[in-house]
Amino acid sequence: MLAARASDSIPAVRPGKPLLLRGATVHTVSGADLPATDVLLRDGKIAALGQKLAAPKDAQVVDVTGRHVYPGLISACTGMGLTEISSVSGSVDLAETGTLNPNARAQPALNPDSDHIPVSRANGILTALSVPVSTGLIAGTSTLIRMDGWTWEDLTLRAAVALHVYWPAMAVNRDPNAARPVAEQERTIAENIKRLREAFASARAYLKAKEGAGKPVELDSRWEAMIPVLRGERPVFVHADEQKQIEAAVAWARAEKLKITLVGGTEAWKSADLLKANDIAVIVSPVLTLPLRREDPYDASYANPGKLFAAGVRFCIANDGGSPMADRNLPYQAGKAAAYGLPPAEALKAITLYPAQLLGAGAELGSIEVGKRATLIVTDGDPLEIPTRVEQAYIDGARIDLSSRHTRLYEKYQKKYEQLKK
Amino acid sequence: MPNFTDRSASPGAARPLAAVWFAHMVFLAAPWAVHAQLPTAPVEGLRDASPRVHAITGARIVTAPGAAIERGTVVLRDGLIAAVGPEADVNVPADARVWPAEGKTIYAGLVEPLAEVHLPAALKAPATATPGEGGRGGRGGRGAAPTTPTETIAPAAAARSWNARVTPERDVAKVLVADDRGATALRELGFASAVVTPGRGIFRGESALVSLSGRAPNATLVRARVAQHVAFEVGGFRDGGYPGSLMGCIALIRQTMLDAQWLRAALDAHGKNPAIERPEENASLHALFDYVTAAKPVVMDAADELDLLRAQKIAGEFKLKLVLRGRGTEYRMAAALAAKKTPVIVPLNFPAVPEVETPEKAADVSLATLQHWELAPANAGRLAAKGVAVAFTTAGLRTPDSQFWPAVRLAIKRGLAPEAALAAVTTAPAQMLGVADLVGTLAPGRLGHLIVATGDLFAADSTAEITDVWVDGIHFETEAAQKVDARGTWTVAWRGATAPDELRIESRPGGGPTGPTAPATGGRPRARLGGKDLTLAQSRNQLTLLAPADVFQGADAKGTVRLAGTVTGGMIEGTGLLPDGTAFRWSAERTAAAEKPAAPAPREEKFLATTDAWPAGAYGRKGIPAQPGWVLVKNATIWTSGPAGRIAGGDLLVHAGRIERIGKNLAAPAGAVVIDATGRHLTAGLIDCHSHTAISRGVNEGTSAVSVEVRVGDVLDATDVGIYRQLGGGLTVANLLHGSANPMGGQNQVIKLRWGAPPEELKFAGAKPGVKFALGENVKRSNFTPPAGTPVRYPQTRMGVEQIMADTFAQARDYERAGREFKDGRAPLPPRRNLRLEAALEILKGERVVHIHSYRQDEVLMFIRLAQREKLTVATFQHILEGYKVADEMAKLGAGGSAFSDWWAYKYEVADAIPHGGAMMRAAGVVVSYNSDNNELARRLNTEAAKAVKYGGVPEDEALKFVTLNPAKQLRIDDRVGSLEPGKDADFVIWSGSPLSTYTRAEQTWIDGRRYFSLEDDAALRAAATTEREALAQKALAERMRTLAGGGPATGARRGGDAPAAAEPPAVLRLLEAIEARHAREHQSIYHDGADALNCTTHALQ
Repeated sequence: MLAARASDSIPAVRPGKPLLLRGATVHTVSGADLPATDVLLRDGKIAALGQKLAAPKDAQVVDVTGRHVYPGLISACTGMGLTEISSVSGSVDLAETGTLNPNARAQPALNPDSDHIPVSRANGILTALSVPVSTGLIAGTSTLIRMDGWTWEDLTLRAAVALHVYWPAMAVNRDPNAARPVAEQERTIAENIKRLREAFASARAYLKAKEGAGKPVELDSRWEAMIPVLRGERPVFVHADEQKQIEAAVAWARAEKLKITLVGGTEAWKSADLLKANDIAVIVSPVLTLPLRREDPYDASYANPGKLFAAGVRFCIANDGGSPMADRNLPYQAGKAAAYGLPPAEALKAITLYPAQLLGAGAELGSIEVGKRATLIVTDGDPLEIPTRVEQAYIDGARIDLSSRHTRLYEKYQKKYEQLKK
Repeated sequence: MPNFTDRSASPGAARPLAAVWFAHMVFLAAPWAVHAQLPTAPVEGLRDASPRVHAITGARIVTAPGAAIERGTVVLRDGLIAAVGPEADVNVPADARVWPAEGKTIYAGLVEPLAEVHLPAALKAPATATPGEGGRGGRGGRGAAPTTPTETIAPAAAARSWNARVTPERDVAKVLVADDRGATALRELGFASAVVTPGRGIFRGESALVSLSGRAPNATLVRARVAQHVAFEVGGFRDGGYPGSLMGCIALIRQTMLDAQWLRAALDAHGKNPAIERPEENASLHALFDYVTAAKPVVMDAADELDLLRAQKIAGEFKLKLVLRGRGTEYRMAAALAAKKTPVIVPLNFPAVPEVETPEKAADVSLATLQHWELAPANAGRLAAKGVAVAFTTAGLRTPDSQFWPAVRLAIKRGLAPEAALAAVTTAPAQMLGVADLVGTLAPGRLGHLIVATGDLFAADSTAEITDVWVDGIHFETEAAQKVDARGTWTVAWRGATAPDELRIESRPGGGPTGPTAPATGGRPRARLGGKDLTLAQSRNQLTLLAPADVFQGADAKGTVRLAGTVTGGMIEGTGLLPDGTAFRWSAERTAAAEKPAAPAPREEKFLATTDAWPAGAYGRKGIPAQPGWVLVKNATIWTSGPAGRIAGGDLLVHAGRIERIGKNLAAPAGAVVIDATGRHLTAGLIDCHSHTAISRGVNEGTSAVSVEVRVGDVLDATDVGIYRQLGGGLTVANLLHGSANPMGGQNQVIKLRWGAPPEELKFAGAKPGVKFALGENVKRSNFTPPAGTPVRYPQTRMGVEQIMADTFAQARDYERAGREFKDGRAPLPPRRNLRLEAALEILKGERVVHIHSYRQDEVLMFIRLAQREKLTVATFQHILEGYKVADEMAKLGAGGSAFSDWWAYKYEVADAIPHGGAMMRAAGVVVSYNSDNNELARRLNTEAAKAVKYGGVPEDEALKFVTLNPAKQLRIDDRVGSLEPGKDADFVIWSGSPLSTYTRAEQTWIDGRRYFSLEDDAALRAAATTEREALAQKALAERMRTLAGGGPATGARRGGDAPAAAEPPAVLRLLEAIEARHAREHQSIYHDGADALNCTTHALQ
């Protein structure tokens, strides 16, 4: 019922004519901040960038003097479109049943009428990676979306970004009174990892049979869906938080000769050297989380991105996946990382350029550069600071509606108190 | 004679005079004529009429701890001790059988205070009931693992407690079963008597003293109704019974004690005036009369060191004669035990050596675990040193036969005085449990319980063994007495075969487990004949030897020669078979004793673990931080949250924990601690009006719709690392709330985050008492499917929520009236105190304010109307995400709004939540705060406040008040905290920048003028923890290497190492497991990793 209930926001019409944003401080992210600079948007792209640009004849000019232009923020791990209200199972399509779902695709399950879309983009989230979740091992493929559109096809920027593997839990309770004996716990862990290895081995065998047999093989949807991964055309995103999981995942990726990116990475700072040596990037998801161990520094999670940066590990910052209820707070994850050691300019990159690069869209998104998609926001200040307001937002050059269920309810009930005053 | 005056602090100290008296006097029992009892059970066949008079002579006799007769005689007659004294003074009776025991040492039979011997299986403690501590993944430490209540096993009485876990009337003496095996096992260790203890329930029942002769209960039962046994046990999902949380359990204990007091008084009143209505019959309450009057001891089971304090508190409230049953960490609370002179029974199941040999494994071992591994054996010694009476129990030992004595000796090695160790297994348990008139010492009239040992049993390096145990004057020889030591060099005479004549049997070096928990018997022996290794097996005095044939028949011989021998003293007589079947005989004479392996040089017992800091493990504190007389913070941007507003370049002067002045350019008084805060911002300490941090074993008593009698204040977990982490985010005060599983939940507790202080000292003295109520989806249990068979609980709709509240208040009014009528003499029977209705009455009187979990405007308005009708004081609507829809009504009621800043979409009733709600409520005149309800969010409430600026445009200083002054007002503590004003508590935070900026971090957090957190202190604590951890890991490694190299039992596979491979459980089971795992999370034991417990936004499970 709820999933099917549409948000009241109307998708934007792509403008037929150019649009000139005049006079803002442009935070290119990829380069220097440009004071009093104009940005020309044409055909959905950033067409020009410079001071006192001449407005094309047919251009609409928007004066944004004193304002700030930033690239749209990218939420690199979210259930956007896949879940509406966490406790209402009818509105939740995050995790398919079973442990091996490489063929599950986020894309056709995306609800373009989710209220989370307008609520999140109101704070500058203009691009998101919708990620399936797993209670087992392989969840399926994620989809990169633009946060505006009538259908899931409208939303789609990249139909299949990565195959998502959820690394098995590896914590062992060594308390002599633990419910399960240590040996049994260790056996379960080993079995789960073996299941994962087996899945990849089966998929390879399937591919080999398909390529080499010279006759048709019966379709196995699961292994078929893994072929792009085996051919190196699609990365594997491995969700792992504990140091043990991370190190096991790295060893696995080396053995399987797979390109992986870590998602989660709460304890990635403990393995920064290993990640650097293997050139494995981390989608830190999230920063605002508790340390996993009693003895860890109280600020371990806050300091995590700063430590990865210092070690030269590629990274970006994301929310924690699942419900997008807090997606609008993505910039504050980055701000917190900056308070605990990450240089502020890196914090901004961590939610713009870096996720664009890690999600394979670095040429199109994540910075204000000529030729890139005109997906950007206009603010009255630093978006990593909470009181800052996002005043305008453009997706592929089209100005989008920043109202949402929340602003409409706000307006509605202000009316109540106005009536009471009368 | 030892000098007893030195020993005043030892547990034996209660008896120094008696001990001297024991040692110097001769004891003779009255020489009455006795006949053997004619047993009620007919004897089949011939009776045993052997004389029952025995004299054991020539031994050293330790009559009591510290009292020894160097050469004495004990006379046993008819199962009792008839005489004990120096040899010269005690005549061996003419009718006595004489047992010469020269060179032996005699002690009183040991007393086991917590035994399961003779106990029906259904009353034994479940196997996993021993709680554990945290460590990685350690919240599964199943201290509160649900167990089956005793009543469901077999009801003990008809007219009894309504609660299945309240079975104080269960009298173990009435259900004893035959158990020769159990008795023999204890007797082999030297125990002659045991207190048989029921192992299930909250009020578990009354224990019984039995003799360990192994005979039928008719003969072994010595005394019934020794003590009442109480444990903090909670119900599980499957039985769904009250209590489901520790706080509910404590409330139930309290109510039951009150009920027992009431029934006594009511029966008394009825006895004086039988014409009045009779009080209800209740066998359970009857059974408690002896305990509420302190006539007998109550043994309370403490799962951890915090339970010790809880038990002491309950005992104090009801003036109980308390004995504590500890779980091994009591040394951490030695001072509290000493202060109240609480005797304690401690276990000997010291933890195995932590597995730290790989970095991966080491990561699973916490510093607290390492510390406890080192300190556990010192537990008894440290308690005794503080004057705490300590008894040992074998309970918890997996293999008592190999673990008990090594553990006792290890305790001695780690500092327990030998006499105190003897006391811990004799006089201390006897005295604690009120049976010292029967057992524990050797004196005329005591039961004929004694042990005979080959030497001093109570020395750290003792190898003495018990050869005889006497129980009720019956003699038992132990296995140890029958053991034959075949080691040595033997000269063999072969008859019918040819072989070298030198046989050596010696200890195999490194042949067995070593370390503290290994048996003292050393490695298995090995045999060599003419320098060649033989295979050796020994059973008692029978040797089996297998030799390669070449030893006998020359280099070319093939096969194995079989040898068997019987050892008698220094001789072996044996037979043999050559490979071809030819039989032969042999004999041997011991010509040299085995070379004793060089005793390892006594190691200096140096403890590496910190013991003066608490909580244990990382970040523990050596007492609370010092309070400087004067503190001056200079040149900060001060956000006062008070009338003075924001002051740039301001100074804050603190005197003795209170704010003295705020201004500019204040002079530093002499000796002041001066902090240059240039460029820094200063605010009042942050206050979280909704927290579940620091609550032990359950935040919900959700088994009943109404549970306002339960108190969060009873179950504070001062070890929760969340306290420390939240200090790091500038938090100083938290309102710890009961969960939202039921409409009328439990009593809240406001605390200051005084990390390092014991639970009682966390409490915010003078904070207005409150209670948690809840509305909506959680209380009608709509967000989860309970397992089949779980009873449906009222209410299931918002309609029912209103009704249950109104009905409870009506009951409370009737309760009050009944009390008045009795006072006025209009009611003959004294009314029964009911803590649930008393709490409801406090709410009606405004003495207890309401914090109500609420979302939707309909339910909020319903409660506003109810509150107006009932004249309740509503302190806060909690969460209140639709408060913006009825903010005018909230303001009229004068209720505060304690909200999430911007949460929504996690359930249906928050579909209309908007982040502007806080600002809108404020605009309507409601006092608004932003809270966390979450251990992580609680670390950054300052930036939550900034959301009030973003959504709704609240001015910055007013927004900060959402996490300072406003929650203080809501909690009625704004006269003390919440703003920086002269006279208020010096609770403040120094920030690196604006408190509303995401780029800012808390640099120092002060409470009561004490610095509880600073970045520098934090760095030092981290470094200290790392250093200590690595030192302990090295020590553990040394032990682990011995274990790994020696092929001893791998301590990791302590149990179930050979369990069958786990098949994937069916889906239903997985669901149940998930539910139980969640339950276990909510019931986390102390020293956990600090993960968030269930909060109000996740769907309450009960």
